[in-house]
Amino acid sequence: MLRVAAVVAAALVFAAPAAACAHPRTSLTYLEGQVMCPTCHTTLDQSDSQAAHQIEVFISKRVAACWTAPQIESALVANYGQGILAAPSHKGFDLLAWWLPIVGVLAGALVLALGVWRWSRRAGSEESDEPVGSGLDEETERRLDDVLARFE
Amino acid sequence: MTRRLKKGAQILALACVAGLLALLVWQLRHQPHAPGVGAVAPGFTLHRLDGPGKVSLASYRGRPVVLNFWASWCQPCKSEAAVLERDWTSYRNRGVVFLGVDFHDLNSDARRFVSAHELTFPMLEDGSGNVTQGSYGVSQVPETYVLNRQGRVVAHLAGPITDPAFALKFRSALAKAAA
Repeated sequence: MLRVAAVVAAALVFAAPAAACAHPRTSLTYLEGQVMCPTCHTTLDQSDSQAAHQIEVFISKRVAACWTAPQIESALVANYGQGILAAPSHKGFDLLAWWLPIVGVLAGALVLALGVWRWSRRAGSEESDEPVGSGLDEETERRLDDVLARFE
Repeated sequence: MTRRLKKGAQILALACVAGLLALLVWQLRHQPHAPGVGAVAPGFTLHRLDGPGKVSLASYRGRPVVLNFWASWCQPCKSEAAVLERDWTSYRNRGVVFLGVDFHDLNSDARRFVSAHELTFPMLEDGSGNVTQGSYGVSQVPETYVLNRQGRVVAHLAGPITDPAFALKFRSALAKAAA
């Protein structure tokens, strides 16, 4: 009787997390790439420190309790501040971090295009400046015509 | 027109370089560094870990302060906790204040740590590390500062006070600050 009670109790203990969340809404593996280790300044998946391990345990418990990734991230931000996230947020001053690289690439492309356009224009005008004739003076040209006429 | 454009581009490029240089200088000047012995300890205001409200270091001016930076995930902090509690109970009657600053830690785990080690001195939370790392240049816990009544650093111990190298230094700094 006692043995049956122990087995039932153990089954309940092990079944509890599964019952709490049959379909997890995020995973530790995903969040390990999104969350920083505060002491080593790498993402959790790159770190083996005690602080990182502590956060992994925190995340695992929330994943098992069916929390979503944004919910877990918010809880971590409330505790550690915005710096705990690997990527900056999409609002306020942090937006600059997302837009500046795009603006930089576009500005670079514009400068490059402008340079190529100017270079091609210059090359075109240099070509048109070249003398149309053979480049020989009139006397030499006349004598050359005479010599050529003898062979005709 | 072309010359004007060229000059404008040159000025823009120079401005960019100057801006980057200014940023580099600013970064170098704002590198976190530990306040040395004799320097005034940087002020701060932090949320209490063990209750509501905030605590400011300035509010303890006129009393010696032992500032201990710790975290629940830090192994040496566990061995140090009992020694700190014992010293707190023996020095509090002499007006010495002990302040624990929990660094880069989960508040729930930190509270469990405080409860498990029966720590009774005021505990503050610094999850972001702005004070611990930014003002005191602490990168690894535990670290302990002993401040005199004027708020100046008497001793800085970068390691557990249970360490034989630090134990004597801590005791003499504490006695000096409390005198």
